[in-house]
Amino acid sequence: MKQAWKEFKPGKWQTSINVRDFIQNNYAPYEGNSDFLAPVTPRTKKLWDKCSLLLSQEREKQGVLDVDPNVVSTITSHQPGYIEKELEIIVGLQTDAPLKRSVIANGGVRMAEQACEAYGYKLNPAISDIYHNHVTTHNTAVFNMYTDEMKKARKLGIITGLPDGYGRGRIIGDYRRIALYGVNHLLEAKRNDLQGLANQPMDEKTLCLREEVSAQIAALNDIILMGNSYGFDISRPAENAQEAVQWLYLGYLASIKEQNGAAMSIGRVSTFLDIYLARDLSNNTLTESAAQELIDQMVIKLRLARHLRTPDYNELFAGDPLWVTEAIGGTGLDGRTLVTRTSYRILHTLYNLGPAPEPNLTILWSVDLPAAFKKFCAKVSLDTSAIQYENDDIMRPVYGDDYAIACCVSAMRVGEQMQLFGARANLAKALLLAINGGRDENSGEQLAPVMPIPTGEYLDYEIVRNNLSKVLSWLTGLYVNTMNLIHFSHDKYAYERAQMALHDTDVKRIMAFGVAGLSVATDSLSAIRYGKVKPLRDETGLAKDFVIDGEFPFYGNDDDQVDTLAIELSQEFSQKLKEHAAYRDAEHTLSILTITSNVMYGKKTGATPDGRKAGQAFAPGANPMHGRDKKGALAAMQSICKLSYDDCRDGISYTFSILPATLGKTAEARIQNLAGILDGYAASQGHHINVNALDRSILEDARKHPEKYPQLTIRVSGYAVNFIKLTPAQQAEVIERTFYESL
Amino acid sequence: MQGYYHSIEHFGTVDGQGIRYVLFLSGCQLRCRFCHNPDTWQQNCQTITTEKILKDLLHYRHFYDASNGGITASGGEPLLQSQFLAELFLACQSHNIHTTIDTAGYYDPKHLTTVLPYTNAALFSIKAVDPQKHRWLAGFDNQQILENLNYVAQSIPMTLRYVIIPGLTNSLEDLQALAGLVHTLPALVPIEVLPYHSLGRHKWKTLNMKYTLDDIPDATTQDIATASNILKSEGITIV
Repeated sequence: MKQAWKEFKPGKWQTSINVRDFIQNNYAPYEGNSDFLAPVTPRTKKLWDKCSLLLSQEREKQGVLDVDPNVVSTITSHQPGYIEKELEIIVGLQTDAPLKRSVIANGGVRMAEQACEAYGYKLNPAISDIYHNHVTTHNTAVFNMYTDEMKKARKLGIITGLPDGYGRGRIIGDYRRIALYGVNHLLEAKRNDLQGLANQPMDEKTLCLREEVSAQIAALNDIILMGNSYGFDISRPAENAQEAVQWLYLGYLASIKEQNGAAMSIGRVSTFLDIYLARDLSNNTLTESAAQELIDQMVIKLRLARHLRTPDYNELFAGDPLWVTEAIGGTGLDGRTLVTRTSYRILHTLYNLGPAPEPNLTILWSVDLPAAFKKFCAKVSLDTSAIQYENDDIMRPVYGDDYAIACCVSAMRVGEQMQLFGARANLAKALLLAINGGRDENSGEQLAPVMPIPTGEYLDYEIVRNNLSKVLSWLTGLYVNTMNLIHFSHDKYAYERAQMALHDTDVKRIMAFGVAGLSVATDSLSAIRYGKVKPLRDETGLAKDFVIDGEFPFYGNDDDQVDTLAIELSQEFSQKLKEHAAYRDAEHTLSILTITSNVMYGKKTGATPDGRKAGQAFAPGANPMHGRDKKGALAAMQSICKLSYDDCRDGISYTFSILPATLGKTAEARIQNLAGILDGYAASQGHHINVNALDRSILEDARKHPEKYPQLTIRVSGYAVNFIKLTPAQQAEVIERTFYESL
Repeated sequence: MQGYYHSIEHFGTVDGQGIRYVLFLSGCQLRCRFCHNPDTWQQNCQTITTEKILKDLLHYRHFYDASNGGITASGGEPLLQSQFLAELFLACQSHNIHTTIDTAGYYDPKHLTTVLPYTNAALFSIKAVDPQKHRWLAGFDNQQILENLNYVAQSIPMTLRYVIIPGLTNSLEDLQALAGLVHTLPALVPIEVLPYHSLGRHKWKTLNMKYTLDDIPDATTQDIATASNILKSEGITIV
């Protein structure tokens, strides 16, 4: 350790695994501006040009360049791969070639088979045989355990997006530990933990943990082997900046080689890495250009991370995302800014390499961030529309100052907490169940418990609202049970041994639930309460459409009459979830986030009392429905800010699109005003905001001429995508969204 | 106190520094041919109290504070309701809200003495420097306006606004006269050059009034650049 930790300030981090303590003792807050940043080096430019070519070939081949259908991916399954070895200073690919996707089968072999077929490959029959006939996959186990009711809820779309056929994701290994301590040290700690789990009653809990820690130890050994295959000894700690970036990335690589979770965040690495870069810079063993190059090359690798998915999956989560989310900035518990020069460097990759959706760069916004950094972030948003913002001032009191973001908006303490994620409940559909006596509005099947159908010509608010509460009581119970089952199965049959090896053994669990269609359900309740809504029922009594009369307020206009309905709905759902015990004592949290599934949820949902037609897309996340937020951007924000983060600890997602000219006349004014919006939103307790600053005409042109816009990036709910990778329906939905342009 | 108003914009980014709460008061005595808000000329029955405005503004103040913004009273001609405006701006200033007037200067100077003590900055619009041209464009000559301009310039920080109407206000002569006027002012005053656009034309139709500039094209980016360069060469700061 002597060489590796030379010049670092000592602390608790030396006697226990505690990366936060290392950061707090050693990082250098940076309050200056971006003038120090270096341009891309010729070598890295050449490397990225080659990647750009590969990426365009990938697009031409239906989005998948190559698949290896013969080897199941593990940490050590594939020979080392390179893009172009002599240009790479940070190495490591998931398979032996860039953008060649591998098969991961323990989540579910059917998904692997279908994905291979969809792109013209056939999964090796030996693999199919093993996973169908000799091994239990997560997918098989879940369907063995599912009740009829769970299957029906899944099929009819009241709960959608359950991770029952692939990895659950949303787990963030503390990849920094590998750089700081080396794998041997982590192995030693895990062996101690395992020994500590002896000499006690071998109950189910202890046995489960013994098995898991043993698996973690095996994974750590494999990570050393993978490092060796690239010529590195990562059993020891990193001794310089290049090694720190490399070691950390290899840890991340190990995790994505074994898990095809929907969201695979990298964590909160830039300020950690800054300590290594700063040490080498001060020793004159690194220049700014070389420091930037390390970050550029790490980001190139993160941009090439891929999983093999089915086309169905793409309908839910469009644009082939991996959510390689990196949390940047924030304020420390001691009040010092956590912004460092490397916070700038990682954002600067969007200039050096051009915009891209991955990694999912997420600014932890605090009103106390340095003014220069706020402006730089605003500039990056205006130039690239590639980054998102989350309110550090409301997350820090809950999650401390070393949390990261899984997926889009889900905070957790790095290495101390993990998340059990799954799906979203469709609130608009829940409301229709309340109107239809518990029957599904499309199929007529009895889904929720039988309840009386509201009588009378017009819907009565009290009756519908009471019914809705009954539906929510049933739905939350079913949802928690379904999640318990899925995560029991996932722990058993698709355990994330590599990622969990980079957590404390005594990990705290969060179970993250979600809702979709909040604004549709809210506006529908408003219509019933303040307007007059006549259901048009078919001969079986199902409301197929609604006649809506009278004026009623819409969510998104800072009108308490209706916004209160949204607050109550999210609060009630959150509280009802907590009435049902979660697997492994997990803490229940709730997100209002849809990803791009708002389009698909809408498709599966009949006409609603707010005037939305059957099949029409929902608004994303917590957004007001398109075109109904008539009082402008700030009023819409105020409505969203009323939703309580205490009820929605897994995040409240808002996607905001604005014409750049609306932000001011000069570039400087636009930067200042956008930073002002972000500050104002944070001070108003808003949680998450995606910022798209672009002209609709660009999107329309990109729809027609995709080849002209290979890197056009836009923010959707909680992540960013290459616009041209969206399906036509998703592109249309994005273009229809409100772009604030009133002056 | 009650004031006559036309509308409120919570998210103004083009009428003063930062993000601004823009209050469009109704009532104006000028009759500018190119006006894009002729629906604000008359004081209709729509009124609002200073208390209500302040409450609404404070609800959004995080955004104004964070961007060094504040409130802008525009119109119409906001100074015509000077008592109301003074009361409103006094209340705003007591909450540390930055206040700006967006005025065309055509009124008795007593209105300025009432409001300026509570005003942090002014946007002052000059339609034309030549009195004849001003009369043709705005219905009245500009003698009173120029006196008020002088008074505002010596009282508070000010930006002069000038609309480039192709063929009408952008000749070399027009712009040199404008620069000359600015040089006579008792303070350094920058100019904000605004492009003429015909987006307000439909409002004239709705109001059954004849729009007389149908043949005038919108100002182009090039028109604005040319005018700005001329003014700069005359020693004027352009914002």
